Amino acid sequence: MMKRTATRRAVLGAAALLAAGGLVAFGGTAQAQQSFKIGLSNGWVGSEWRTQMIEEAQAAAAAWKAKGVNVEVVVQSATVDVQGQIGHVRNFINQGVNAIIINPNSPTAFDPVFAQAKARNILVVSTDAEVSSKDAIYVGIDQKDWAVKSAEWLAKTLGNKGNVVTINGIAGHPANEMRVAGYREVFAKHPDIKLLNQANADWDQAKGQQVMQNLLATYPNINGVWVQDGMADGAWRAIEAAGKKDQIAATGEIRKDFLTRWSEQKLNSGASVNPPGVMASALNVAVHRLMGKEFKDGIFKGQYGNAIYIPIPFVDNSNLAQALKQAEGKPGYWSVTAVVTPEEAQQYFK
Amino acid sequence: MSAVVRSRPWLLTLIALAVLVAVNTALQPSFVQPAVLQSNLTTFLPLTLVAIGQTYVVMGGDIDLSVGAIAALVNVVTVSAIAAVGGDGLTPIIAGLAAGLATAVVCGVINGVLVAVLRLQAIVTTFATGIVFAGTALFVLPQAGLPVPEAFWRSYGATLIGLPVVLWILLAGLAFALFLGRRPFVAHLTAVGGSRVGAFQTGLSLSRVRIGAFVLSALFAGFAALCLTGETASGDPLLGQSLALSSISAVVLGGTALSGGSGGPVGSILGALVLGMIGNVIFFAGLPFAWQTLVQGLIVLAALAGGVLVTRR
Repeated sequence: MMKRTATRRAVLGAAALLAAGGLVAFGGTAQAQQSFKIGLSNGWVGSEWRTQMIEEAQAAAAAWKAKGVNVEVVVQSATVDVQGQIGHVRNFINQGVNAIIINPNSPTAFDPVFAQAKARNILVVSTDAEVSSKDAIYVGIDQKDWAVKSAEWLAKTLGNKGNVVTINGIAGHPANEMRVAGYREVFAKHPDIKLLNQANADWDQAKGQQVMQNLLATYPNINGVWVQDGMADGAWRAIEAAGKKDQIAATGEIRKDFLTRWSEQKLNSGASVNPPGVMASALNVAVHRLMGKEFKDGIFKGQYGNAIYIPIPFVDNSNLAQALKQAEGKPGYWSVTAVVTPEEAQQYFK
Repeated sequence: MSAVVRSRPWLLTLIALAVLVAVNTALQPSFVQPAVLQSNLTTFLPLTLVAIGQTYVVMGGDIDLSVGAIAALVNVVTVSAIAAVGGDGLTPIIAGLAAGLATAVVCGVINGVLVAVLRLQAIVTTFATGIVFAGTALFVLPQAGLPVPEAFWRSYGATLIGLPVVLWILLAGLAFALFLGRRPFVAHLTAVGGSRVGAFQTGLSLSRVRIGAFVLSALFAGFAALCLTGETASGDPLLGQSLALSSISAVVLGGTALSGGSGGPVGSILGALVLGMIGNVIFFAGLPFAWQTLVQGLIVLAALAGGVLVTRR
């Protein structure tokens, strides 16, 4: 029985492989002049945000067809470690793609393999997390500015004074460190804002809730909470459970489920948006570059001098209804998003 | 035929590898180009090395779940040592290699002593020491970074006497495995894994043999870490997390029984290459991304089950 199942699986697998192989061969012959192949690599499959990121990039690629540009995307998405993701990049290089767009698992480990890609004349664009390689560019948000925006909202909401706690992601993670630097810079400008505690909850919603419970128990006089991403959902649950939702202002997050609760419970919240559309934005920039356009001088910023920062939308009570409208008909895990359109991407080029 | 296969289970792995190579070449005609072969080998090499070391532990009836963490620790120790010595030339690189491999040996001795001398269960012990090693790696280098000198990763990607360095490393690993296979150590190890009581009654020093296996495993994890350092040109404390279970899969795919007492590293090398090729074929088949992990799991399962079923009959 077991053997038969294994055989059937093998047969099914072989059939799928053959069918897929046929499709690849067919796609290969349909090359027109304005036709590009772009590899998308995602090294972590732990949240719906990443799935939405890939789906939006695929949609953006399909949309280029209306402009007479044929953009074929090849996706590799799995939870891999760094060498696994280097394998992704190698496969793309060996396949002969025109560009690689990657949400990288490490800021530094891709330097040699990106150099190989560059040597083969492949454009490499990292998104969502910056990379140190001089052979790649970054298109995405400035994580520090993301934190500055929400910290400024919190300071303003609190009238520039009060007791604040923060809940951060994974200590040592590059994006986390940039965000921490961002809110510290803002709060340092307001001497009447007192940072009582800065905790870590590893970007885990349940941990965020637990940490918030502890903080509420330890400090009865909290006025404001600065908390990142999905952990905000957990933190708000703890605040609501403690019956303090009307006394505390806290940053929020951007998934539809939270926006709905935010609106129903009339929470005092505001959220910087790290849009899942970053990969689609990177793709739109990449296609312009592949069509031979040159980047404007002085466009690259950031610590590695290779970053194009895209706008960071912000949701607060003034435009919450609008965000909810955008989320209409979408599943609960859907995140508020924004994409740099092909027309907007034009501004980065000469 | 059946007897031939049963005494050499790696023959099946070799056939599987040949099939995968054929399928991959059909899907991706450029596969046989030297540059593409080299790039594939570079991707597969770390797992292959770890699998060689893991084989000795498994042959002795134990298991080593800490190899991934050892690789991460060796990686960060190596880059930190290179940065600490500083300067150009070969001195910092040699210091880094020495510090990294010494770290690996220490990890292996710790595993071996805990398992063989204190008689703790190998599976839980190495799971726990793996957490300790991973924590130590985070302590040594809290955040990914510290680039290594260009000479380091350039020579890893270079060619030597007409062949890529990565191929030389693989051949050296194979040569070591064949050499050790003719030494009494492997015979002792097979005896220890096959029948611990019997081996003890013949007067073998069980703990020395088992510690030796754990040191070999750690040392090969160390070699893999040096290859990864050559590939990534930097330190990353979160490196190698998938190495432990993948290496055990490679060992089993190569025909070494998890119960110990039989098998050998040549099969594990083939097993590791098969695992790597499965990932390749999945990619070049152009499956939708949501299916890639599932199909890969099913093929690995079929390969493992196929080997077991054929040798059982």
